[in-house]
Amino acid sequence: MEVFLLGLQLVLNVETLLVILAAALFGVFVGAVPGLTATMAVALLVPITFYMDPVPAIAAIVTTSAMAIFAGDIPATYLNIPGTPSSAAYVSDSHLLACKGRARETLGMNLICSVFGGLFGTVILVFVAPSLAEVALQFSSFEYFWLALLGLSCSIFIAIGSRVKAFLSLMIGLLLSTVGLDMMSGAPRFTFGIPDLMGGVNFIPVMIGMFALNELMLFYGSSDEGKRLPSLSKDSVFSLAPKHIKEYWPNMVRGSSIGTLIGALPGAGADIAAWISYAVGKSRSKEKQAYGTGHLEGIVDASSANNSGISGAWVPALVFGIPGDSITAIVIGVLYMKGMNPGPTIFMDGTGLIYALFIVFFIANLVMLPIGFAAIKFAKVFILAPRKILMPIILCFCLVGAFSINNSLTDVWIMLIIGFLASILARCEFPMAPAILGLVLGTTLENSFMSSMLKTNGDMLSFFSRPISAGLGALVILLWISPLLTMVYKKLKNNHRQKALRIS
Amino acid sequence: MRDLFLGLTFMLLGAVVVTVASQYPTMASLQYGPSLFPSLIGGGFLIGGLVISVTQLLTLKSQLLGAGASIRTALDFRSILVSLLPCGLIIFYIFASEFLGAALCLGVIMFVLMLVRRTSLPLALCVSLIASLIIYFLFARYLLIPLPTGLLNFWG
Repeated sequence: MEVFLLGLQLVLNVETLLVILAAALFGVFVGAVPGLTATMAVALLVPITFYMDPVPAIAAIVTTSAMAIFAGDIPATYLNIPGTPSSAAYVSDSHLLACKGRARETLGMNLICSVFGGLFGTVILVFVAPSLAEVALQFSSFEYFWLALLGLSCSIFIAIGSRVKAFLSLMIGLLLSTVGLDMMSGAPRFTFGIPDLMGGVNFIPVMIGMFALNELMLFYGSSDEGKRLPSLSKDSVFSLAPKHIKEYWPNMVRGSSIGTLIGALPGAGADIAAWISYAVGKSRSKEKQAYGTGHLEGIVDASSANNSGISGAWVPALVFGIPGDSITAIVIGVLYMKGMNPGPTIFMDGTGLIYALFIVFFIANLVMLPIGFAAIKFAKVFILAPRKILMPIILCFCLVGAFSINNSLTDVWIMLIIGFLASILARCEFPMAPAILGLVLGTTLENSFMSSMLKTNGDMLSFFSRPISAGLGALVILLWISPLLTMVYKKLKNNHRQKALRIS
Repeated sequence: MRDLFLGLTFMLLGAVVVTVASQYPTMASLQYGPSLFPSLIGGGFLIGGLVISVTQLLTLKSQLLGAGASIRTALDFRSILVSLLPCGLIIFYIFASEFLGAALCLGVIMFVLMLVRRTSLPLALCVSLIASLIIYFLFARYLLIPLPTGLLNFWG
C-alpha cells in the first residue's frame, strides 16, 4: 500500500499532470494530421523526454501514443485517409458512414472503443505483468537468449507482406546492433575509426531517421497535399452511443482481448491488432457482407483492438525488456537512458515507479475522453492543417532532436543515413518493425548467447538443459518449422479431398 | 527489376560483412568470438538477397515469355530529386551550422522546403523565421543544448 501511495505521489503532481495534458494535445494533433504516425510522434518526443524525470517522460510517451492512435480515426472518417496506420483497417467503413452524415456518431463510438480498449489492456497489464515478472526472476542467459530469438522470429512471421523482406529488415537491425566495442573481447566492430561509434549506434537518431525522416522523404516525393475539403457533419457525438454499446459490447470485449494479445507479441503493433480483430469480427459476424460498406460493427472490433494493443505491448517490454511494438522499442531506449533497466527487477523496485506507470496508463486513457471529444468537435482544425507548413518544421525538430542526444553531429549523420536507407526500403515494401526489434534485441541476443557459452565452455546442448529454456527453445523451433508443417498439412488435406472426389 | 537490384545489393553487403568479420580477433578461451554474429548476419544478407534476386528473375522471365509483355519502369526523376531535398538540407546544416549558426540554418531549411511545396513567399518567410527562433530558443536556452550560434555571435 505504501508503495502504491508513493506511485500515486509520483503521478499526481502538477508537473506530471501538465505533461500528460500537453502530450494528449500533441498526440491528438499528430494523430489527426494524415502522414504523421504515432511512432513518429514518440520518436520526436524522445529528445524532450531526455530532460524530464522518469515518470513524466513515460507519461508523455504513453499519453501521446494512446491519443495519436485514436486521433488517427479523425482524418480516416472525414478524408478517407488514415491518420495513423492503425486506422487503416476500418477506414472505408468510417468514411462511408461520414458520407451518410454520421461522422461524429462514428468518431464518438471510436472514442468510446479506444478508451475501453486502452483500459482493458491496462487492466491486463496490471494483473498479468507482476505475476509474469515473478517467473522471469528465475530466468538466466539461456532463457533470455530464447526469448530474444522468439521475439525476433515473431517479428518476421507476423510482418505484413514478404517474409524474406522482413528477414532482411531484421538483419539490418541486427547489423546495427553489432556496431561498437564487442562485449567479450573489447574489439571494435564496424566503427570505421569514428570514436562516437565505439559505444554503439545510438538508438534515438535511428528511430528519428527511420520514422520521421523517412516519412518526410516520402511526403516530398509525392505530390499529394491531402487538402481535399471534407464534408463536416453536425450530428451528435454520444447520443446513440448507449444503443451501440448495448448492441456491440461483445465485439468491444473480443476486440480488446485480441488487441492485447497481438500487442504483446513482439513486432506486432496496434495496426496488425486492428487488422486481425477486424478479420475475426467479420468472420464471426451475422452481417458479414455489411463489413466495408459503412458498418459500425467492424469499427468497434478494430478500434477497440488498436488501443488495447498499445497497452498489451508493454507487458513483454516491462517484464522481459522485449518490446511488443515500435513504440515500446523506443520506450525501452528511454528507460535505459533513465537508468531504469526494463525486466523483472523493475517490479521489485520499492520507489513506487511501477505503480506510477500503471496509474499513468489509466489517466492517459481516461483523459482521452474529454480531449478526444473536443478533438471531434474541432476536427476541421486538424484535418485542414497544411502539411507543406508542418513538414519543414518537423524536419528541423528531427535535426535538433538527433543532435541533442549526445550534442554530436555523428548522430545527425546516423539519422540521415538511416532515414535515406529506410525511405528506399519503404518504397520497396520492406517492413520497418523487424529492423527496430533487431536493433533493440540484437545486443541481448548476442550477449546472452556469449555468456551462456562462457558458462558452459561452448556446450550448445546447455540451451536445452533447463526446463523453461528447453520449452522456449522448442517453441522457437516450432515457430520456424510452422510454414513447413502448414504446407504438409495443406498438401495432405488436398490429397484427401481429391481421393474422396475420385471415390464419389 | 527494383527487387532484383536490391537483392544483389544485399548479397554484396553480405559478402562485405562476412569479409570484414573474418578479420576480427578470435578468443583463446572460446571457439566463438566477436566475428560470430556479424558473420551470421552477413550470411543472412547473402541468403535473403539470393532468394529475392532469384524470385525476381523468375518473375521477369515469365513476364518476358508472356505475350506482348513489356517491362517499363516509369521513373519520375523530379519527384525522386525532391524527395532527396530533406537529405540535402540536412547535409547543408551539418556543414553550414558552425558558421551560419543553427537558428539561421533551420530558418533557411524551412523556407526552402516551404517554397518547394508552393507556399506563398510572405507566409513561408514568417513561419520559418518564427519557427526557427522558437526551436532554437527551446533547445538552446530551455534544454541547454549547445547549438552553434554562428553569425548570431556577432550580434551578441
